[in-house]
Order: sequence, then C-alpha cells, then structure tokens
Amino acid sequence: MTALLEVRGLCKHFGGVLAVNECSFSAAEGQITGLIGPNGAGKSTAIDLISGFKIPDTGTVVFEGNEVQGRTPHRISRMGMIRTFQTPREWPGLSVLENLILAHFEPRREQFWRSMRGPSHAEKVDAAAQLSRARTILEEFGLIELRNERAGNLSGGQKRLVEFARIRMAAPRLVILDEPMGGVNPVLGERMATAVLGFVAAGTSVVIVEHNLPFIERVTDKVVVMAEGRVIADGPFDSLRSNQAVVDSYLGEMPTYDDADA
Amino acid sequence: MIDYIVSILTEGAIFAIMALGLNIIWGWSGDFDLAFYGYVALGAYMTLVLTVGPATSPTEYILGLSLPFPVAVIIAMLSTMTLALIVGSIALRHLRGIYFSIVTLGAVYVLYIFAGQFVPLFNGFNGVSGLFDPMGDVLGLGFTAYPYFYLALCLVVLAVVVLVVTRLSGSRFGLALRSLREDERAAAAFGRDIYVMKLKAYVIGAALGGLGGGLFVGYLSAFNTSAWSPVETITLYAAILVGGRGSTRGVLLGIVVMYMGLQEATRYLPEVAGHASFAPAFRLILTGIVLVLFIRFRPQGILPERRLRDKDISGTGGTASVAVENPITGPALDPGAA
Amino acid sequence: MHQALLTLGFGLVGAAILSLSALAFTLEYSVTNVANLSHGEILTVGAYCAYLVQQHGGGVILSGLAASAGGGALALAVHNGVIDRFVRKGIGGLPTFIATLGVSLVIQNILVIIFGASNLGYSVPPGAPRTIGPFLWTDTEIQIMVSAVAITALLYVIIQHTRFGKSLRAVSQNRSLASVSGINAHRVAALTWLLAGVIGGYAGFILAESIGTFSPYSGFTFFLITLTAAVAGGLGKALGTLVGGVIVGIGLEFFGGYLSASYNLAFAFAILSVVILVRPRGLFVGGRRSIFE
Repeated sequence: MTALLEVRGLCKHFGGVLAVNECSFSAAEGQITGLIGPNGAGKSTAIDLISGFKIPDTGTVVFEGNEVQGRTPHRISRMGMIRTFQTPREWPGLSVLENLILAHFEPRREQFWRSMRGPSHAEKVDAAAQLSRARTILEEFGLIELRNERAGNLSGGQKRLVEFARIRMAAPRLVILDEPMGGVNPVLGERMATAVLGFVAAGTSVVIVEHNLPFIERVTDKVVVMAEGRVIADGPFDSLRSNQAVVDSYLGEMPTYDDADA
Repeated sequence: MIDYIVSILTEGAIFAIMALGLNIIWGWSGDFDLAFYGYVALGAYMTLVLTVGPATSPTEYILGLSLPFPVAVIIAMLSTMTLALIVGSIALRHLRGIYFSIVTLGAVYVLYIFAGQFVPLFNGFNGVSGLFDPMGDVLGLGFTAYPYFYLALCLVVLAVVVLVVTRLSGSRFGLALRSLREDERAAAAFGRDIYVMKLKAYVIGAALGGLGGGLFVGYLSAFNTSAWSPVETITLYAAILVGGRGSTRGVLLGIVVMYMGLQEATRYLPEVAGHASFAPAFRLILTGIVLVLFIRFRPQGILPERRLRDKDISGTGGTASVAVENPITGPALDPGAA
Repeated sequence: MHQALLTLGFGLVGAAILSLSALAFTLEYSVTNVANLSHGEILTVGAYCAYLVQQHGGGVILSGLAASAGGGALALAVHNGVIDRFVRKGIGGLPTFIATLGVSLVIQNILVIIFGASNLGYSVPPGAPRTIGPFLWTDTEIQIMVSAVAITALLYVIIQHTRFGKSLRAVSQNRSLASVSGINAHRVAALTWLLAGVIGGYAGFILAESIGTFSPYSGFTFFLITLTAAVAGGLGKALGTLVGGVIVGIGLEFFGGYLSASYNLAFAFAILSVVILVRPRGLFVGGRRSIFE
C-alpha cells in the first residue's frame, strides 16, 4: 500500500496555544483512515492545515508525492484532495442538481471567454454526460426527487448526503470528511457508511474525522488517535481498545458497534 | 411630453446598463462594492476628455484628443477596468463583508476628492464640458431628431449588454461565480480560485459601469463633482435589490420601478418655495425606506434569480416537500453504477 | 519645533472630536455587531438640535444638552425601529449594514427637506485664542477638549464600575451567553445605543463649533474619518478606538499642513485601507492570518 497522504511534524499555534503539536500520520491509498480523539485534540485544525485552509507553523504535508503545505486550498483541491466541513457547506441558493454539476470542476470551461463563446459540440456532449451522471448519483443517494429543490431548504442529513453526492461527482483521489455524522440523525448512519465505502470502490480514498466511534469501527481500515495536538496511537480500531493512552484520553471504555444506541 | 418620455427612457436604459454591471459584482459574486459609481464617473470623465479638444486656459484637464465618441467610450471602459483591477486586487485579496465595503467606500471617496480638488486632472470642481450630441454631425441629425437617435443608441447598447450578461449568467462561469457567493470555503474546496474569479467579476462589472458612464455623459454633455456623488451607488443597489438580486430580468424591473417609476410618481410633487432640492430629497427618502424594507422582508427582490430546473425523467421537475428525513429503506446503493 | 507643537495642539482638538465620535460608534458596534453607517447622522442631528436652541437664544451649555438629547433620541429610534428588529430576526452583519445605509439616506434627506441643503452656522463666537504652554487654543477649543476628556472618563466609569456597564461588557462579548445568564440583551443594547447617541450628538455639536458651519452631509463626511479611527483601533475595542482616534486626529492635522485640508478625507482613507489590509481586525487585535482563519 502506497501512502497517498503523509503528514510529518505538523505544528500550529494560536496565540499561546499549541493546537497541533508534531502531528504525523499517513493515509494509504484505497483505504479508509479514521482520525479520532477527544474534543480539542486538534483534529479539525490538522485537517485545515492539510487542506490548505490554515498555514502550518512547521511540518510537511505530502500528497501523492508532492509537498502541499502552505498552498492555497483551491490548488490542493485541483491536485485531487477535497474536504468537507464540520457543518454542511452546500451552496444553499442553488439547486441540488446545480450543486452536483459544480462539483465536477473543469477550469477551462469556466473561463470568461470560453463561457462567452458558448460550449463547443464536444463540450455539449460532455455536459450532457455529466448531467446524466449527476442524476444517476442523485438516484443512488435517494435525492433525485429533490434535484430542483433549493439546497438550503434541505434538512441537515439531506445536506450531508448532497455533500457526499458532490464528492462522488468530483471523484477526487482523496476525500477528507470532517465529522460527517455531526448533527445527523443516527438513522442515516448505515446509509452514510455505505456511501463512504462506495467512495473507495469508486477510487476515492478516505480520511474521516469522527466522534461517532461505532461508525468509525464500521468503516475504517485503520485509525489515528489524536489528543492535545499530537498523535497518540495509530492502528486498526480493535487494537485501540487495549491501548491505555487512548482509553485514558477518552476517559473510559470505548463502545463497540454492537452495543451502540443508534 | 414626448421629450419627457424620451429622456426618461434614455436615462433608464443607461442606468440599466450600470445596474447590470453592479449586479455581476453583488448579485452574482456577492461583494457589496461601494466604489461602483466611481467607475461610472471615471467612464464619464474619460469619455469627455477623450472626445473634446485640448484644454484652453483657464480650464485644465488631461488628454483632449477629439476622438470619435464610440472609440472614446471603449477607451474609457478600458480605463475603468484598469482602475477596478487596481482597487479590486487590493480589496478582494483579504477582505470580505463590511471590511470590503468600507475599503471600497474609501476608494471612491478618494476618487471623488481627487476629481474635485486636483485641477489638472478633470478641471477640479468645475469639471469638463463640451460633448454635444455625440455622433450627431456625422449622421447629419438635426436638433429635434437627435434625442430619438440617442435613445435608440442606448437601447441598442442595452440590448447587447443584456444578451452578453444573459449568456454569461447561464454559463459555467456564471454558475461558478454564484458558488462563490453561496459558500466560499466550499467553492475553494472544489477547486475554484476565489480571488481570481471575484476579481474577474469585479472588472467586468466595472466595465459595464464605465460604459454606462460614457453613455451618461453623452446624454449630459458635461460632468463635474455635482453631477455625481460617491453614494449614488446606493440608488443602483436599491434597484437591484427591489427588482431581483442576481437576476437580469429582476435588475431591469428594478430600474423600471425604482428609477422610472419613482421619477414618475414624484413628478407632481409641489415645488416647495426656496427648496429646490425637495423632489430629489423626497425620492432619496423613499429609496432609503424601500431599501430597508426590502432588505428585511424581501431580500431576493420581486423577481428572484432563477435557478436551473431539470425537467427530465418522467417530466417531474417537481418541488418535493422538504425537510423530511429520508426513510431508512431507501434505494439500495450500488457503488458500480456511477 | 514650535510649529510642530502648535500643529499638535490643533490636532488634539480634532482628535478629541474624533475620539468621541469613534467611541460612540464602537459602543454601537459592540452590543449589536452592526457597523452603523448612519452614525454620522447622529452627529448631524446633534448639530442641528444645538442650532435650533441657539436660534431661540440658548447658550453653549443648553445647545450642548440639546445636541446630546437629539442624538440620543435618534440613536434610540434607529436601534429600536431598525437595528433591533434585524438582530431579533438573526439577520447578519452585512444586510444590516446595508439597511443602515438606507437609514442614513432617509435621515440626511429629511434634514435637507427641513433645513435645506446648504451650510448653516452657529451664532456662538469661538472666543479669542489663548496661549497655554506651547499651544494656542480658543475658549471653544478648550471647552471641546475638556468636555471630551470628561465624557471619556465618565464613560470609563460607567463601563467599568456600574452594573449597567457590566451587562454592557457581557453583551458585547457574547450576546447569547449574556441572554441566557438573565441579561435582557435587547434592553442593554437599546440603552447602549442611547448612550452612544448622547455622546455622538454632542460630538456633532463640537464638530460644528470647531468647523463653524455644517450641512445635512457634515456628519456623514466626518463619519468616514471616524470609521478610520474605529476600524484602525479594532472594531468593538474601546481602548483601541481611543488610541486610533488620537493618532488619526493628530496625523491628519500634520498632513493637513502639507496638503490642502480637503485631502484629509482621502488621506484618512488611505490610512484606513493600509490598516485593514495589514491587520483586518485592527491595530490592536490578533495577528496575521489566511483569509479563512
């Protein structure tokens, strides 16, 4: 397994607080890597640093062999890494279908003069194919009836599904999911798990930050545990249960998938 | 009476062109730019100093190249775009929201002060004059026929602008720009270069502002600091807000209502003795009230922006009832279908 | 050196007015998170109220009180009539900012209709200049500076040592938290705006005294310089605003000596733009970040 994403020694200060402290881990291609830890562990900051939304003080982020730390988010995105956010960030004033169409990014078609000239025949054919693909993906996610709906009107869970559908549409090399289960009805859990597994089947590797540990246990190949800004454990989920440092940081036993309430 | 209608329509067409430009910056891209009327003013000034002859003392101004009107307007647009590029590249780099608005407000005030104080530029407070009936002598138009010609010219230009803007709005560029307005972080996460796209929108919008300014000064024949003020941008905003923010039809409706409709409604206001500015002040009061009411109660305007509606698949372009959690038993997910 | 001190002296007068105006604006911002673009109109209305009193024979003290009353009444009306409704509806900063632009338009033009668009003057004479140390000030200018210092000190006492001040600070730091702890945030905000209006109205009065004439647009033009001071110091930070006001006020006076005074506004905005670009949150807040931080 080649390391698709490799993070080495990331550090970030905020004022006097060291939010991320020598964070190092890797995510392999074709796998689902979990990133867990108690609140304030620095997980989301680490994600921001990896995806370009914050600039690290020190450390490197290597994606597909290229160093990307300090680059702008859109550059990193174009290299094949897309991330989601802790709150659903759909484009609320646009329709669900438009949200998907936009997910497939073709820089040349969005240029001013190209847009003024209008699409060539080949581009029209491609656009129709993309539209058809978008519809198919929406059907898969059970959102087809809502395709013309204003995305901002959807419920939290539906918005998350739209985000997932967007990821499928964009088909990046790596997707980083930042607490996708946050605020979502646990009833949708299985659906989202299937969707996440579907990413990998479609060629997109996954890094997922989550508090919902049963979900993590269900989908991940390995888990990275952060606490107080640094990585304290790195391995398959089962191995974490006997890891004292991990148990301590979570203040107690870690629940299994079987005895989850949801 | 006919003269009145012709002048209202001409001014309406000119302001519509300006508003369509501002709509790109605010309606599509989401930036509340307060410098916009500065681009209109620069377009007016530049068109003037390019069409009239060299300055004769005691008047002072730059250029004075006696160029034909259409050429002058195009060059004026280019100068407007250059100024917008400078202001935008600074303001759009790190600023959003009110900070962006405040800096752009500053920029337009700086322009206003320089235009009014720095005499060698545009003759300071007195401004520049002398653009009478542009293209009139070339086409052999008499005094009475000319207003109709100019109205037709402005309407033709407006029609072209509407075509261009409509095409741009429905294009990938237009859609991507909306995504910047809706959620910048998500747009960046999906590969959009926010800075470059917003800057493009800013310059294009300013170009239309400059075009409007050029046509405006052809109509006025002169321009100085009492012909414009930095806060005139707000009347354009009121039109866009009322008509339909982001929507081309909406902006046109907004101009009809907030410009032509307002002029007509206040036409018969009594001329209060000693208060020459009563009617304009009254119009501005109405504008302000309408602005507050619409921002509060109907921010999308009378004709909201139309989004893509997909009518395919058994003709159901329907709006399903929302906020209903999908049931547990949804369609089976087939990873291989994509 | 003598000239520099003289200029400094004149600058302090301007700084006094600017600081009061900027403090009032900061008060408004701190409890509602709204940059009030109609703030200048509070000053203008204050100036006109003082004018009315003087037209009926009132003296300086009465004029000043009238200005404060007028400003306070206007600020309260704007808050309860517009701002608070927007805040209750959860409408964000930018749309409310746009609404205050509309409010500004309405107030300015009501003044135009009532008083006409041209300049008016006060009938109170400025008094002869006195030499105080290295400085040269008229009685009016001394009155301006002394009252500004007194008001600022009073404001400090109110904010730091009264129960109301404590509520004010709570609301400005975290409005929802304050509400949950039992503070009526809307009432605190209304009273704060009233206070801001009282200060702002008085600032308009001393502004008009200092310049000599005023029009319905005076407050708005001056407000743009106020904005420089308030944002440069850090929106919502009283101490920063004060320092910002002093720096901008003195700075403008010095540069006004080299360029014509009409360029003052342009220069103020140049300062503002530089500050915002280097430190968007103000000179006294935080540090450099990427646009998303």
